[in-house]
Amino acid sequence: MSEEILRRFREIEETRDFFIVGRKVARVDALDAVLGRPIYTADLVTGRPLYVVAVRSRYPHARIKSLDVSEALQVSSVRAVFTHRDIPGVNDAGSLIPDRPLLAINKVRHIGEAVALVAGEDYEKTVDAADRVLVDYEPLPAVTSPFEAMNPDSPRVQEDRDNVVTHFKIRKGDVADGFRHSHVVLERTYKTQAIDGLPLEVEVAYSFWGEDGVLNCISTMQNPFDVYNKVVSILGVEKSRLRIVQAATGGGFGPKSDETPIDVAAYACLATFKTGRPALAAFTRSEAMTVQCKRHPFTITHRVGVDKSGRLLAWKALLVEDTGAYISKGHLVIGRATFHCTGPYEVPNVWADGYCVLTNNTMAGSTRGFGAPQSHFAAEMMMNELAEELGLTPLEIRWRNMLRVGSLTATGQKIEDPGLELCLMRALEASDYERKYLQYKKMGDGVVRRGIGLALLYHGNTLGPEGDDFATVLVRVERDGSVVLQTGLTEFGTGAITSLVIVAAETLGVPPSSIRLERPDTLAIPNSGPTVASRTTPIGGRAAFDAAVKIRHAIASVASEMLGVPASGLEFRESRIYARDNPGKYLGWKDAVAECYKIGVELKAVGYYIAPPTRWDPETGQGSPYNQYTFGALVAEVEVDTETGVVRVDKMTAAYDVGRAINPLGLLSTYESGSIMGLGYAIMEEIIHRDGYLLNPNLQTYVIPTTAEAPRQIESIIVESPGPMGVFGAKAMGEIPVVLPAASIAGAVANAVGVFIRELPLRPDRVLKALER
Amino acid sequence: MSGVRVVGRYSFILNGRPTTVEAPPGYTLLETLRQILHLTGTKDGCSSGDCGACTVLLDGKAVHSCLTLISQVEGREVTTVEGLAGSKVVKSFAESGAVQCGYCTPGFVVAVEALLRANPNPSIEEVKEALRGNLCRCTGYVKILDAVKMAISD
Repeated sequence: MSEEILRRFREIEETRDFFIVGRKVARVDALDAVLGRPIYTADLVTGRPLYVVAVRSRYPHARIKSLDVSEALQVSSVRAVFTHRDIPGVNDAGSLIPDRPLLAINKVRHIGEAVALVAGEDYEKTVDAADRVLVDYEPLPAVTSPFEAMNPDSPRVQEDRDNVVTHFKIRKGDVADGFRHSHVVLERTYKTQAIDGLPLEVEVAYSFWGEDGVLNCISTMQNPFDVYNKVVSILGVEKSRLRIVQAATGGGFGPKSDETPIDVAAYACLATFKTGRPALAAFTRSEAMTVQCKRHPFTITHRVGVDKSGRLLAWKALLVEDTGAYISKGHLVIGRATFHCTGPYEVPNVWADGYCVLTNNTMAGSTRGFGAPQSHFAAEMMMNELAEELGLTPLEIRWRNMLRVGSLTATGQKIEDPGLELCLMRALEASDYERKYLQYKKMGDGVVRRGIGLALLYHGNTLGPEGDDFATVLVRVERDGSVVLQTGLTEFGTGAITSLVIVAAETLGVPPSSIRLERPDTLAIPNSGPTVASRTTPIGGRAAFDAAVKIRHAIASVASEMLGVPASGLEFRESRIYARDNPGKYLGWKDAVAECYKIGVELKAVGYYIAPPTRWDPETGQGSPYNQYTFGALVAEVEVDTETGVVRVDKMTAAYDVGRAINPLGLLSTYESGSIMGLGYAIMEEIIHRDGYLLNPNLQTYVIPTTAEAPRQIESIIVESPGPMGVFGAKAMGEIPVVLPAASIAGAVANAVGVFIRELPLRPDRVLKALER
Repeated sequence: MSGVRVVGRYSFILNGRPTTVEAPPGYTLLETLRQILHLTGTKDGCSSGDCGACTVLLDGKAVHSCLTLISQVEGREVTTVEGLAGSKVVKSFAESGAVQCGYCTPGFVVAVEALLRANPNPSIEEVKEALRGNLCRCTGYVKILDAVKMAISD
């Protein structure tokens, strides 16, 4: 009976019009943030904590001959110095793969690797003491090019592991045959750079013993349960003795889902565990920029054959990814990059090899986009170059090859919805692309030249092959009718948690403002899975829906009695419970809740959702690695100053197929945010390693877009072609808008000046050099 | 062992109120505000004057509190974001969706306040110029500029 009602509710939800979903819902906590209320970790410190400062490697690769802490211990106010010998549990802090010591044992493998920790009363003296930890290094040859590292004779970065961590393959059809039948075959190599995700708040963790014997740690992060599990293992304590709480988090962008949040939490917790004192571990900006996981630099070589009409016949790809000294998420990033390496186009014959390679550079990990920006830059540039060679426009070659309903992707997965075509049509219409393309291509002598670029996207949704794609959300109703929602999925500026509130509000028929969020707390909630891969709205939304449906079912059973209407005939909206067939007959939400409390019906539910497992063959890459795809089209208009080489982005027209717009205000922010972060990747940002040393881990020389670089206009177009997996048809969107700007801007520069620049970022010197050719 | 610290006494007007604070002379205004006065609205993003998260008003002009020593504010007037509660800039930021992670927001609010005090009706180019010392990684600046436009027209 109850299963039947639950099912009925779900059917009703999925077919009816929405009351709240898709409406503009403002963030409830906006004013607190504007006023700078104490909501971030560093604001919450009380009393006098010990400051924990890391001693970091000055070499990209070196053996530690000896380590002398005695002088540091002499510094007044220093309370303790820790090395790997002081770690009570397992000395490993790798977020997924246990290849990374929290504190180096006898070797350092990248610049800035932590060797020891100093804990002291006074911050400046503690920093001074960290300088007095004497580490005697024997420098070793550093392997800093992934191509060098792939050579079997190369020194190993990790002694017990080959430098090639993963070899990812796609084998579809017969590429040799495809090339034989090709009219034109082009081979091109594209290079992308490392960037820093650069959340404005650096990593910081504050720990203290609770009166209940539980070690508490407040921190800024995306994945509280990853941090929790690692710190439990590093300290070697019972799981019940640690509690991780996510404070308001000043930006995530991927780095805060990887290694560094584990590090700071472990530093602070270790100090508290050993000394009993509250402890604060906070990175400096330069430290953060050194050790935060970067976006992977890629070198991608494509060899592509087309027939006379521009139909793609064969695509051979080699992708080499530098993941730095420890794997972090590199083995998964290469998978996403390789799966998407042919762009959103149908190619009958594909042969791709993707390699994730260890080097002595600093770590790369899951920076927003997770391999997709690199992959799309190379594929889209390749399409532009092919078009040029064949005398087609970039639009014509895309139109002939793009994924439509029934198309097969590079992995042989059948496309089920028309999202890509819908996005393209909307973006073309709004930007007047084709006319401007031809116009700009003809003009060509002025100092400042205009250009327009088009790029298309497909993005396999959420984790797919990257892990268990589940979420949990806890919903409970208080006696006064207010609703509380809590999950281990985190808010760090994306607005995605507002989507969960909207889903719960929609399902329960109450206003979003009556739903209160509680902070993620590992002692209060079950593991909710990681807040990565743009999962929160589609997957977390399903869990929020599940929890809300369960609550609604409980309330309906009581309301049904009170109204004398079968539970399946009830409708929840506007804080009332109506008899669907007789809208004059209704019950107030609060009255129904009060009755539930009175007769002992529990109004608390854990919602759960796990996406269907995805299947593909690791030998051929063939199969369906993702449950659904987000599609998109981005048009960028630029001005290139041919005297200075400066590229200015004037306008971006972004159309994305979001499946279902749960939270339109949040979506617009996501579009704008990704567009400008992608703009930075395209024209200015670059973390520079030289022989393993970092040249610019600071904000004077690593420059991100400011208001001065912001385009005059970002036009955001929401396309809705519902997917089968996400809540109410929603698709993944958090990362997506960052993927295309580089491809689209580089295409626009080619349109403006007639030269394809194959290496990011499009710095002035690079543009000028290209113009000399 | 933890030693004697040299501490200075500094008097200034903070958010409209005369304030005297004891702090080491090497302390920055940011450290003094956050650690001694527990006014945590002013954020620390880089400690090097590059990100603007720590922007405060000093005699009505926007400065980086991370680059201002406490000794430099003696006898002067400091306004932090806490002192701007109820202002039209605060209201327009809260209402226009200009807040995402929120970490840069107090710095932007103060920078905009400084701009509008000096120039109540700036052009969009003047606004962009005035805010280029403030970094935001979340918003793409579109909604921030919307908030400024709202505050100007208010």
